[in-house]
Amino acid sequence: MPNAQHSDLLDPFEERLTAGLHDAGNAFETDRAALVDAGALKGRRRLLRRRNAAVVGSAAGIALVGVGGALLLPSGDPAKARGSAATSTLASASAPTPVSAETLTGTLEHELVVGRGGTYGGFTKIEARGTDEGLSPYVRLVFDDGKGAAAVSVTMDRIQPGSDDARQITTCPGKAFTHYDACGTSRLADGSVVMVLQGYEYPDRRVDTKWWNAELVTPQGQHVSLNEWNAAAEKDSPITRPQPPFSAAQLRKVAASKIWRDAIDAMPVNSNSPTTPSSSSTGAAVSVTSTLRTLVPKGLAVSEAGDPGDTGFGYLVVDDGKGKTLVQVNVQADMADVEGELFGSDAEVLADGTKVATHQGPGEKGGTGVVMWTVDTMRPDGSRVVISAFNSGAQDTAATRKSPALTMKQLREIALSPKWR
Amino acid sequence: MRRQERADAYEEFAAARAGHLYRSACLLTAGDTHLAEDLVQETLGKLYVGWGRLSRVGNPAGYAQTVLTRTYLAHQRRRSSTERATDLLPDLPDPGAPGADTPLRLTLLQALSRLPAKDRTVVVLRYWEDRSVEETADVMQVSSAAVRTRCVRALGRLRELLGENLDEYARP
Repeated sequence: MPNAQHSDLLDPFEERLTAGLHDAGNAFETDRAALVDAGALKGRRRLLRRRNAAVVGSAAGIALVGVGGALLLPSGDPAKARGSAATSTLASASAPTPVSAETLTGTLEHELVVGRGGTYGGFTKIEARGTDEGLSPYVRLVFDDGKGAAAVSVTMDRIQPGSDDARQITTCPGKAFTHYDACGTSRLADGSVVMVLQGYEYPDRRVDTKWWNAELVTPQGQHVSLNEWNAAAEKDSPITRPQPPFSAAQLRKVAASKIWRDAIDAMPVNSNSPTTPSSSSTGAAVSVTSTLRTLVPKGLAVSEAGDPGDTGFGYLVVDDGKGKTLVQVNVQADMADVEGELFGSDAEVLADGTKVATHQGPGEKGGTGVVMWTVDTMRPDGSRVVISAFNSGAQDTAATRKSPALTMKQLREIALSPKWR
Repeated sequence: MRRQERADAYEEFAAARAGHLYRSACLLTAGDTHLAEDLVQETLGKLYVGWGRLSRVGNPAGYAQTVLTRTYLAHQRRRSSTERATDLLPDLPDPGAPGADTPLRLTLLQALSRLPAKDRTVVVLRYWEDRSVEETADVMQVSSAAVRTRCVRALGRLRELLGENLDEYARP
C-alpha cells in the first residue's frame, strides 16, 4: 500500500497511475487455497529431488533452496530442451487431440473404482484442468470407497528426457533425509522409468499421514506424478484409513496409463516448458560429497554418502565411534544479493573479505535432542559454502550423541577450504 | 523454531500472501492470469522448500515478492530467447464476462502489456508495491540508474497510451 513519504513525491500522473494499478490489481481474484496447495506440491517435489542423494547429476537449482530467488531458477538452454520435447512428442502424435478435464477426471475415477476391482466409489472436491487451457493439466479429487476418504491427484508436465532432473525425480531419496516405508524404481517395457515411494506427508512423522507417490518419466520426456494420501487432504486432515487407496503396484500401473501421456502431448509446447538442469548456477563443478570426504578429519568412519555427481549439495554420515553425525554442505555461486540477509553486521570478515557466520541451535527437522551446528561463509565473489553438522545420523531421528563429531573449528576449516573454489 | 511451528507458519504465510502475490503477478504479466497462476505456484514452491531459513529473514513478504519478480523476469528471459516479440496482446479477461472489468481497468492492462517486461516490472514495483528506486534496483538486480531510466521511459509511454484515461483517479 502506498506509503505517505513516497506518495508525497509523486506527480499527478504517477498518483493516478498508482490508484489505477491498485484498482486493476485488486480486481484479480483466484482460488488462493489451490495456489497454496499447488505451491506446496511443487515445493515437495523440489525437496524430494534435493534430498535425493543417490543419483548422478547436479542438483544445482535445488541446493539453492530458499536463498536468492533468481538463482533458484533453472538455467541452460530451454530452447533446446523445448525443441527436444516437441520433437519427441510430435513424433508420436503429429496432431495431438486435446484432452479435457472431464476425460482426465473420468480416467482417475475409473482407475479408483474399476481399476481396483471395486464397484462403488464416491468422489468429492473434484478439480481438474484439461489441455486446452494453456497450462499443465491436472486432476485432483477426494475418493471414498466406504473405507475412508482419500485425496488423490495426478499432475502432468514435460521434462527434458535424460536430464538430471528426470533421473532425480525417478530415483529413491536417500534415507538420511527422508523416512519412508518402501521405495522402488523400475523400468517399463517402453523404456519409461517409474519410481513408487511409500512415504509420509511429514518426514518427521509427527502426524502419520501417508503420502504415496508414483513419478513416471518416459523416454520422450513426459512426466506423470500420481499422489495419494490416507486422508482427505494432504495436511491438517485426520487420517481416515490405514493406507491410501492404490497399492504400490496399482500406482505404478495407473501412472503408466496412456491418457496422461496423451494429455502431455496435447499441451501447448510453450506452456510449462521443461526446465533444463544445469550446474552453471553453482559455479565450480566440483563434487561436494567427494570434496567433503577429503576434508573431514581422519579417523571418522563414513557410513553413508551423498551423490558424488552433485555439485551443489553433498553429505556424509560419519562416526568417530561415539555415534553418528550427519555433515552436510551446500555450495552456491552468485549469492551476493542475499549477503545482507545471511550475514548480519556481527559477521566476522576475514582479511580476504570472506564473511563467516556461525549458528549453534536446535535441529530443524524434529529429531529429539538434535542440535545443528552451522558455519556459513561467503567469498567476496558471492560464492557461498555452508556446512552443518548434527549429533545424529539424520536430522529427524533422535540424537545419538551429545554434540556433533566435528567441532565448530573443524567445520569452519572445512567451509573455508580453498578446495571449494 | 520447531518443525510444527514452521510448517504452520509457512501455511499461514502462503495463505495470507497468495492473493497479493497473484495480483502482483497479474500486473507483471499485464493480465495473463494463467501465467500469473504458474508464477505464483513456482514462487510458493520455492518458499515452501526454503521456509526454515526464510522464516529467519526479516521480511518474508518482501522476500516472496522478490522471488516472484525474479521468477517472472527469468520466465521472460526464457521466452525472449525462444520467441519473436509480437504485438499480440496477452490473454486478457473477457470484458463481456460476468463481473467483467471496467473498460478503464482493461485499458490500463493493455497499456501495461505494451511496455517491455522490465519496464513493466519497474512500474509494478514502484507504483503497486510502492518500492523505492533503490529497492526496485535490488529486486531486479540492476543499478538504480537503470531503474530510473526505465521508469522515466515507462511513464512517458504510459502517458502516451493512457492520455486522459486515468483522470478519474485524479484527487478531488
